[in-house]
Amino acid sequence: MIDFEEELKKYEPAIEVEQAEADIKARDLTDLTDLLVNISAQQNQSSVEK
Amino acid sequence: MQCFMCGAEVGNEKVCYNCGADILLYKQIVYTSYVFYNQGLEKAKVRDLTGAIEALKSSLQYYKYNTRARNLLGLCYYQVGDTVRAINEWVLSKNLQEEDNPNADRYLAEIEADPGLLSKLNSTIKKYNQAIEYCKSGSRDLAMIQLKKVISQNPNLVKAHQLLGLLYIQDGKYADARKVLSAAAKIDSNNTTTIRYIHEVKERLKEENTGKRRKKNDVYTFADGNDTVIMNENALRSMLDNTRSSLMNIVLGLVVGLLICFFLIVPTVKDNMSDGNTKTVLALNENLAEARDKNQELQDEIDNLKNSLSAYDETQDIPTSYENLLAAQNYHAAGDDVSASDSIQLVSKDILGSAGKSAYDSLYQQLAPTIIMGYYNDGNTFYSDENYDSAIVNFQTVVDIDERYNNGAALFLLGDCYRLTGETEKALECFNKVVELYPGNQWGRQAKVYIAADDTELSATEVGD
Repeated sequence: MIDFEEELKKYEPAIEVEQAEADIKARDLTDLTDLLVNISAQQNQSSVEK
Repeated sequence: MQCFMCGAEVGNEKVCYNCGADILLYKQIVYTSYVFYNQGLEKAKVRDLTGAIEALKSSLQYYKYNTRARNLLGLCYYQVGDTVRAINEWVLSKNLQEEDNPNADRYLAEIEADPGLLSKLNSTIKKYNQAIEYCKSGSRDLAMIQLKKVISQNPNLVKAHQLLGLLYIQDGKYADARKVLSAAAKIDSNNTTTIRYIHEVKERLKEENTGKRRKKNDVYTFADGNDTVIMNENALRSMLDNTRSSLMNIVLGLVVGLLICFFLIVPTVKDNMSDGNTKTVLALNENLAEARDKNQELQDEIDNLKNSLSAYDETQDIPTSYENLLAAQNYHAAGDDVSASDSIQLVSKDILGSAGKSAYDSLYQQLAPTIIMGYYNDGNTFYSDENYDSAIVNFQTVVDIDERYNNGAALFLLGDCYRLTGETEKALECFNKVVELYPGNQWGRQAKVYIAADDTELSATEVGD
């Protein structure tokens, strides 16, 4: 049984053309390779410090 | 391949000898990204766009420089009507890989080539957002109108289909909902929201059908003129029972009427008809008798009138006869016996007085040869012209006056005329008389030949004149 009000909450306004730039800028483009780089960098730094 | 940390060339090594970075792990991450990309591609090919989008998003979370995955993600967004997201992905793709990125170039170029496209897309998106607002504020009718407009402008916008389907479900318009959701399923076949709504619609329709059957047993609706009458089963049954009894009464009345008509009215009508016929026959007989009497009276009247007319004619004929007699005497005295004979033949002897009759007889005797000759000549002329009937009249007149005329020639020619007209008995009678009177002359011999041959059909030329 579908709850109309609950279903309605799932519908979010679509991004308008004017908001496209802001959407791109707000996008977090961090990927797993970025995390690996960070982790590797931290590891290198800690080994240097030791 | 270069090290992701220091940029040194590492080739196929698992570790960078320059900085000690784990190259193998990096490679595994990139490969995983491509594995997701492949999954996304497979799903997109079977129009499981939601599944494709999820896989491609995962691919990009592993490795954001997977531009093929990003371009395909944009394409999937574009296909489900989320055009701004699609453009964003292609723009990002272009930024992350400026060189050697032909797909992103092409997609962006196509959008730039149509300047009105973006404004049109934007207006569609605004209407969709407006519809969501209407829904949330409870104005479902307005939301439906907006969503129908959105779908007509951008038929691929799956979310609009879904929202309209949801509104139809909420309003109990399950058939409409199924139609809209089926259209959404054609665009994105494996969208869980669409599938859930369709399932819901099917359930509701099933319930509605069973409910309708139940309702059908309970409530009946029918049109009475411009009104729609809704009755429950009992009321309808009682009404139908009343109608049935009324119909039975009407049928019974008709049967009784027919019986009365058959046993009472029909015999009376028949009697009346027979009486009427008898009367008519009698009346006609009377009329006929009257008509006959009248006819007889009229016939008698005609006879009387004819007698009167003949008496009148006779009285009229008296002076004419005397005039003709005088004229004949005058012509005879003048020596014109032909004209005299013509005139005397116009005289009616019976109406003359005794003096007139004696004068007539004396003159007639004197003119007789001329009169006979005239008839004989006329008879010959008619005989030559093969006018045998007229010839018979003339020869008969001659024979009546003098049957020995011209040594039996008139009598023979009369017989011949009869022969030629097929009156054989009369012909033989004439021929016998000719033979009796003049057995030796040419007429007698010729008559003998006809009698001996008993072949009156032979022509005179064949026998010999």
